[in-house]
Amino acid sequence: MTQPQQFVRPQPFGGRPVIQFRDDHSRRRFLQTALVVGAGSSLVAAAAAMRGDPRAVADATANDLDILNYALTLEHLEAEFYTQGLDSGVLGGRDLELVEPIRDHEQAHVEAVTQTITDLGGEPVDKPSFMFPDGTFDDKDMFLTNASAFEELGVTAYHGQVPRIDDADILAAAAAIAGVESRHAAIVADLLGENPFPSPFEKTMTMEQVLEQASTFIEQ
Amino acid sequence: MNRRDLIRGAAVAIPGSVALSMLSAKWAFAEGVDDFDGPVDVLNYALTLEYLEAEFYRQGNEAGLAEGRAADYLSTIQTDEEAHVMALQDTIAQLGGTAVPAPQVDFGQAFGSLESYLETAYTFENLGVQAYLGAAPALFQQKELLSAAASIFGVEARHAAIIANLQEKAAEGGVYQGAVETPADRSTVLQAASPFIVAARTY
Repeated sequence: MTQPQQFVRPQPFGGRPVIQFRDDHSRRRFLQTALVVGAGSSLVAAAAAMRGDPRAVADATANDLDILNYALTLEHLEAEFYTQGLDSGVLGGRDLELVEPIRDHEQAHVEAVTQTITDLGGEPVDKPSFMFPDGTFDDKDMFLTNASAFEELGVTAYHGQVPRIDDADILAAAAAIAGVESRHAAIVADLLGENPFPSPFEKTMTMEQVLEQASTFIEQ
Repeated sequence: MNRRDLIRGAAVAIPGSVALSMLSAKWAFAEGVDDFDGPVDVLNYALTLEYLEAEFYRQGNEAGLAEGRAADYLSTIQTDEEAHVMALQDTIAQLGGTAVPAPQVDFGQAFGSLESYLETAYTFENLGVQAYLGAAPALFQQKELLSAAASIFGVEARHAAIIANLQEKAAEGGVYQGAVETPADRSTVLQAASPFIVAARTY
């Protein structure tokens, strides 16, 4: 089947830092998880590809808790982004009607992923502090352009993890969330007058690639 | 290949009701993973739905009901569905399987107006989303197929949202179906699709 293509979108916020973790420990944990898992998956994938065995990718990945904490960090980022954006009051009418549920969904995702991690005996990552650059929510176009970047990032991040999840129930939950992120991505693109259907197949990004974008928002 | 040939190529036609009961027999008492007899079966199930969607949009767009942005979107959705059909056919062939032929379809009065075209599209797209999610566990061990199916699933979700927005449906419960997508099992999906299947060909 046609392989989902990997791609790199322009960085939201021009690559300026928007995530600030509560403390160094949290920040290092996020970076380490993403780097270790990202690098590991690349190597495993490369090795598996050389053997012509796609299933090997699943057998040797970092555990699902790392993937869930990675997802949780991105969901925290999205939830906070929409909360602040909607608080700014730049949207009205149909735009507002369509974006309010997106915020609610992202908050529900944060809760669901947190609960899942806890249920599995894991430790959910702390919610980072976010600082969005001045002007991010100044007008509808700024808000939605950044929203679009986040949504497409979220979609590709989830799809990148699909083959790496070890547990079928976690996969089902992650897929159920990913589908909603696709709806968000399409609607936000439409509100911007952009193409809601950039490809017949959702694209993927590895954790490493997503981190490349996210880490530039983390204050060092 | 001409799209019409792809969808309606010559074959023995059997009545739709009979075909569906034949199709249903082996999973009537099954759920989840047991709905399917291996990956080719899952892919053929998806292919059947994609045939339906591709032909639906081909006929609907041919009817010339939409204009402007709606027409552009519906045209893109049609080519997306056609790409899904071809991808699934290719994949089934690569796995050494036999792709099911396209069913004969009848969309009734769906193209009587733009409103009914969009409402039927809305039904199809959300059904597709639910079907892929419901079938995902059956592909769990085949990571490459799982990823590919997921990549189609996400695009169906995009279609569903945009169709609903063209209809100016309510955001929650229309454009979005909650914070998480809901799966549907095979028999539920086929029951929902059955009104549009006049006949399925056998081989």
